[in-house]
Amino acid sequence: MKPKNEQKQDNVFFVGIDLGTSRSKISSSNGVREWIESYVGWPRDYIAEKVLGKSVLFGAEALQHRLSLDLCRPLERGIIKEGIESSERAVKEIIRYLIDLAKPEPGQKIHAVVGVPADSLKVNKLAIRKAVAEYVHALMVVSEPFAIAYGMELLNNALIVDIGAGTIDFCIMHGTIPSEEDQKTILTAGDYIDEQLFNYLIEKYPSSKFNKNMVRQFKERFSFVRDINEEIRVELPVNGKPVMHDIKDEIRRSCESILPALVETTTEMIARFDPEFQMKIKNNIVLAGGGSLIRRIAEYLQDALKEYGTCKVTRVADPLFAGADGALRLAQDVPSKYWEEL
Amino acid sequence: MIPIFARKNELRIRQKILRGVYEENLLMLGKRRPTLSRRRLFLPKKILLSAVVCLLAILMHGQYMGTSLSPSEMPANMNTYRLPLPATGVSSEGTGNTLELSDFVSSGNLPLSHMFDLKIRTIMIDAGHGGADSGSVGKMGTMEKDITLDIAKRLKTHLVKSDRFHVVMTREDDSSVPLSKRVALAQEAKADLFISIHLNDLPRKPINIIETYYFGPSNDEKTLRLAKRENVGSEYGLSDFKEVMERLGKTMKLQESRELAKSIQANLFINSRKHSEDIQNYGVKRAPFVVLLGVDVPAVLAEVSCLSNNEEERELSSESHRENIARYLAAGIFDYLNKGAITYEAQK
Repeated sequence: MKPKNEQKQDNVFFVGIDLGTSRSKISSSNGVREWIESYVGWPRDYIAEKVLGKSVLFGAEALQHRLSLDLCRPLERGIIKEGIESSERAVKEIIRYLIDLAKPEPGQKIHAVVGVPADSLKVNKLAIRKAVAEYVHALMVVSEPFAIAYGMELLNNALIVDIGAGTIDFCIMHGTIPSEEDQKTILTAGDYIDEQLFNYLIEKYPSSKFNKNMVRQFKERFSFVRDINEEIRVELPVNGKPVMHDIKDEIRRSCESILPALVETTTEMIARFDPEFQMKIKNNIVLAGGGSLIRRIAEYLQDALKEYGTCKVTRVADPLFAGADGALRLAQDVPSKYWEEL
Repeated sequence: MIPIFARKNELRIRQKILRGVYEENLLMLGKRRPTLSRRRLFLPKKILLSAVVCLLAILMHGQYMGTSLSPSEMPANMNTYRLPLPATGVSSEGTGNTLELSDFVSSGNLPLSHMFDLKIRTIMIDAGHGGADSGSVGKMGTMEKDITLDIAKRLKTHLVKSDRFHVVMTREDDSSVPLSKRVALAQEAKADLFISIHLNDLPRKPINIIETYYFGPSNDEKTLRLAKRENVGSEYGLSDFKEVMERLGKTMKLQESRELAKSIQANLFINSRKHSEDIQNYGVKRAPFVVLLGVDVPAVLAEVSCLSNNEEERELSSESHRENIARYLAAGIFDYLNKGAITYEAQK
């Protein structure tokens, strides 16, 4: 016979959700792990709805049909996007869709931990709670870098640097839940690289045709800092004809545009603590988020911090799911007495 | 033995963290405050500075109160919607003193900027508090500094969209900026207009109010308390104070600030009341805010909402509410700048 507590947990479906600017992910207690691009689109009119056969589209599908949709990327710059009422609705739709993808059994109670960008937690926490509350039975909201740290068991003497699309979130772990002073957010992140790259390419190839979505794909495929031994050439149309373009220098310059702020903030975060603690943190800096996939970025940061003494910068094994997995682990570890039914 | 101790220690840390997550989320719902006090240390230096500000305000009061409050100078457009003030003795706006420029503008309806065709090129937005100074903190943990920054950024977007102004901010992130530095930034940027955004905190009253201030003396106890709170960390010396005070009376700032405050207050209140019947209009007032004192151009401090009101704290968490506040602030600024412009009045 199972212990009482375990019996109760049988009917609970735990999910960890990472609500990101660029991608949103879910990890669930049945082993399902899914992600979508954080785009939601509603057909612009009756005809578009008829053609698309859906009242709402998500992720890549929404991007593909963007001309027929009112497209919304709700968490731009790390907070619920300004000026559009639909952004709160879009967050709700993303949550609903992600939970559907995880396939909970009928009748199961859903207990969710949701990781959100640190800035979003400051000003949108109740709005996010409201958006998620409709689809779950019990809920906790935490900051993304904290969820990553928890999942990686980096509970003490560690600095997590979550390089996302809208923000880079810094979070120092020192054996307690991080306070506001332990966390910092800067806005020069993935989207900033996209903007820079777009401008550099327009400047270099004024007659070539490309859009911001294509530029983002180039970045995700080729990003690097310092130098690499390979050519980076892409095919772009010029007056309708496909032409190969060398974009290596532009990729490097745009990726390196976030480095000064990254190094400065990392140094500032470490310097806040006493020297003994600083030594420990410097040897446990962990990069996460899509931006950690920029080639040689960990090495660059490690070298940049060398003048302050030895340090070690590593990258999480699975940048895409580290936040969602950490949130799931939190959900499973939280004692049942802490879960309050909504 | 060592691995066992290490394991025990890790478990203890983990339990502490999980408890922290639970408490943070409870706080988010306004159910309980965390065990750690969020109150900041009240340093003797800060107390001294605040006392100096209050003293100056009281001294100035005698000078300013030579002219009595004339009902004719009360904003006509405000009378129609202004609710009676509560019986706590909150003073309404005074007329100000006899300004040299008042002869030009006896009607008080046309901004001097418009009368003399002065251009407003640069607008400085000041998001109240920041960094270690959280400002007031709501029951659910919402911090004034985060909300003011968000509204300030949204206001900037609206003003920039008009393509008429260069818009600068005293802070664009969660950084600590002393009040004297904010004033210096406005001067460096050659700002033509200055608006400081704050949230009210009335923990003893469950009400939601909107009020807008411009610099001047006040004998109202609540206003002086508020000024004392907002002036913390001014880093001004007495000599600085004396100098700016002397300059004050010779500029058009006072009258223009009052016009701007009236316009902002009217837009904020009329529009906010569409969403909430309970909101109260505390009107336009004078108060000795340091951040307004040092700026030589029209300058106001708007208390756009009330964080101590539970319902309002919930509302402030929604982006649409913050966006609305920013829109009403922008409308107030546009109304002030366009007053008297025939096409604009006709469009309205």
